[in-house]
Amino acid sequence: MENPENPQRFLTAAAAGLAGCRVCGTANPGAARACTCCGSPLEPAAPASLQRVWAWLAAGLVAYVPANVYPMLRTTTFGRSSENTLIGGIAELFSHGSYGVALIVFFASIVIPVAKFLAIAYLAVSVRRPAALGSHGRLVLYEVVEFIGRWSMIDVFVVAILTALVQLDFAAAIAPGMAAVSFALSVAFTMLAAQSFDPRLIWNAESENLNDHA
Amino acid sequence: MTTPDPAPMNITARRPSLWRNLSLVWLVPLAALAVSLGVAWKAYSERGVLITISFENASGIAANETTVRYRDVVIGRVEKVGFADDLSKVSVQARIDKEIAPYLDADATFWVVRPEVSARGISGLSTVLSGVYIEGSWDQAPGLSQTAFEGADRPPLAQPGRGGRRITLRTDDGRMISEGAPVLFRGIEVGRLETPRLTVSGDSIVVDAFIDAPHDRRINSATRFWDSSGFSVSIGPSGLSLDVDSIASLVAGGIEFDSVFDGGQTVGPGTVFDIHTDEAAARRTAFARTLSGGVAVAVAFDESVAGLASGAEVQLRGVKVGEVSSLNAAIQSGSDEAEVRLIAKLLLEPGLMGLPRGAGEAEALDFLEQAVAGGLRARLASAGLFSSELLVELVTLEDAAPAAFNREAEPFPELPSAPSDLPDFTATAEGALERISELPVEELMAQAIATLASIENLAAADSTRQAPAAAVALLEDTRALLADPGTRALPGELQAAVSDVRALLADLQQGRAAANLAAALEQGSQAAASLAAASDELPALVADFRALAAKANSLEAEELIRSASQLIDSADAVIGTEGARALPPALTAALEEMQATLEDMRQGGLVENANATMASARGAADAVAAAAEGLPALSARLERLVAQSEALIASYGGRSSFNSETLDALREIKTAARAVSQLARKIERDPNSLLFGR
Repeated sequence: MENPENPQRFLTAAAAGLAGCRVCGTANPGAARACTCCGSPLEPAAPASLQRVWAWLAAGLVAYVPANVYPMLRTTTFGRSSENTLIGGIAELFSHGSYGVALIVFFASIVIPVAKFLAIAYLAVSVRRPAALGSHGRLVLYEVVEFIGRWSMIDVFVVAILTALVQLDFAAAIAPGMAAVSFALSVAFTMLAAQSFDPRLIWNAESENLNDHA
Repeated sequence: MTTPDPAPMNITARRPSLWRNLSLVWLVPLAALAVSLGVAWKAYSERGVLITISFENASGIAANETTVRYRDVVIGRVEKVGFADDLSKVSVQARIDKEIAPYLDADATFWVVRPEVSARGISGLSTVLSGVYIEGSWDQAPGLSQTAFEGADRPPLAQPGRGGRRITLRTDDGRMISEGAPVLFRGIEVGRLETPRLTVSGDSIVVDAFIDAPHDRRINSATRFWDSSGFSVSIGPSGLSLDVDSIASLVAGGIEFDSVFDGGQTVGPGTVFDIHTDEAAARRTAFARTLSGGVAVAVAFDESVAGLASGAEVQLRGVKVGEVSSLNAAIQSGSDEAEVRLIAKLLLEPGLMGLPRGAGEAEALDFLEQAVAGGLRARLASAGLFSSELLVELVTLEDAAPAAFNREAEPFPELPSAPSDLPDFTATAEGALERISELPVEELMAQAIATLASIENLAAADSTRQAPAAAVALLEDTRALLADPGTRALPGELQAAVSDVRALLADLQQGRAAANLAAALEQGSQAAASLAAASDELPALVADFRALAAKANSLEAEELIRSASQLIDSADAVIGTEGARALPPALTAALEEMQATLEDMRQGGLVENANATMASARGAADAVAAAAEGLPALSARLERLVAQSEALIASYGGRSSFNSETLDALREIKTAARAVSQLARKIERDPNSLLFGR
């Protein structure tokens, strides 16, 4: 791994006049418009692409608000219907003593999405400014965010499964609330934001910084 | 590989303008924001109105769960359950749909629907599992909307906007009424009672009732209410009668009403009606009430008025034209001594006497004056064959003592009275029955047996064997007499008479006694005629006895002659009385005499004629026994009559209201049972229906 105290000079693809394909990883000549290997369009690691990150992130944040304000589930048991928001559900689980489940839900629904927002925002910001975390650390962070992104839908899956399974007419019925849709959108937007982030920018920025320092 | 040249544009490129380089992706968060804001605005703008309902307690009400419904449609939800400022009440805050809010004006009421089991049924079952909900009711016109309401404990009897009329009922006895008890009109529920409450003075109980439209139109000044709860058993001329109303009203109490006379006027709000104890009492008041337009006259009776009560009918040729309003004694100071007279105050309804509608007191008094001049008198009459009650009859008597209608008498115009012919049919019929029962049939039988024993003793005696041929002839004659069809027919006649009497009694018991009076009298006379016919058979018997005596006379037995003539006298007495009553004693006496005679004969030395005498005596005994056989048959007939009477009374029920009431009650129970089983079947088939209340 890298050693921040003794930064090693390295050559980025852009500096070498190459463009890496983000699909198949082939290093193409810098002038190529399309990947010579898989044919997908090649884009230079332009800082402008950060716009898309910010846009998706903003959309994800906007969607995250109703996901927390509106009820996630509408449970009807013997004619009594109750609606639970995310936080409310967690509080209820907690008050019922199901600390484990409450913790899982808390992590899946609150901690991870928020952490993702923060992580993507941090990554996006760090391209422009010097960051405390080294380039390698940020790459790892990016990979973690990308990996975890698909698991963020676990809440939505639970709601979907419950809704499909618990339709016992009068005895018990579960209907998804508006928050479920919002949450799904929020997760989708966050994933798109993570997707839009071009990790090459990390290295470009690194090399620029190094060049500046040099 | 050559050393790559750094791309100059990478180094020199300046960031272009932010706006020019703006990505289309920004539309996504903008759209998301717009949608979110839109949804939030919609939710906010469509947010209902927060109202506060205060209840005594919040049993079952939970924030965010309990719904507010109108006609069973959810229109809101409880948001908060708290207390009033001084903790005296529970205040429930509920958010009501915006469209509904304008209707929540001063007449809106709210109550909590809970499962309830009462005598009138089960309600609110669907709330057992789903929890209670708040039901509201208001009229269909938007008004000045309010946000604070008093919640009721129970559903209001008359929900706002429901057609009908609220009336107030008054009673002395609060036991027969309970909240929610039905108000019936001819057995159909048309309203409900509200909570009974004591008046301030505490001497009576008032209860509001709500009569649903369109039945509230039936309430007018002629309407009377009575208690229809419980059941009553009465025995009267028309038989045993059991009155049972619906099971529900039996348990919860019920009030029935009807218009007891025509032409009631509409009553204004605030009219208070009395609840009468039963229908008869309620109908009786029709006179007392309407006779404000009726005519009061007084009648002074010289005889006992025991059995005449206030409320008794006044009849004109069998039609009720009024009733006795009051009875009191008045001291009338005559010329020399004070005289106590019983004055009955009669209230007469001119309309019922055939006077034109609207005829006033003057017309009625004119009519009475004219009628009295024509012989109209008031007299006491029996209300029924088996009743000791009396009524006042207005009759036109041809030979009435002259009297005048005293219009100026105080306090009421006085109608002359006539002596009643009260020793009436009842007494006659009772007397006849008494006399029949007094017939000493048993004694007659005993006497006959004793006589036969004497005859047998006589026959067994040695001296009888010495009896002359005349004695043989005598005995043969005796046998012939006893074998005579006439004698044998006697029990048959008696039976016929008894059966006639029985038919008479049956007719009497059939009810309609008053109507059948003439027929009953006819039957009675037929019975008497039958008895007479039975008696008519006696002369033959007597003649035979006379012949027997003549024969005995030739035996030179002084005692025999004397007793035989006594027998003739007795038999004559039997004929002379014409009454069946005298018959048995006379026969008994005759047989006694005969016994004495035969005793004497046995003691006097009679010629022996053993075999013939024995044969004759046995023949005679057989004949007498054959004749006597009829008498047990008679008593058997009587027994059977009793049994038949019992059977009659038993079978009576077939048509009586007792039976029909019982059957009705049974039918009702059966219906109830069927309803329960239907309910059970429905629940079995579709438990959800119970839970959903559908």
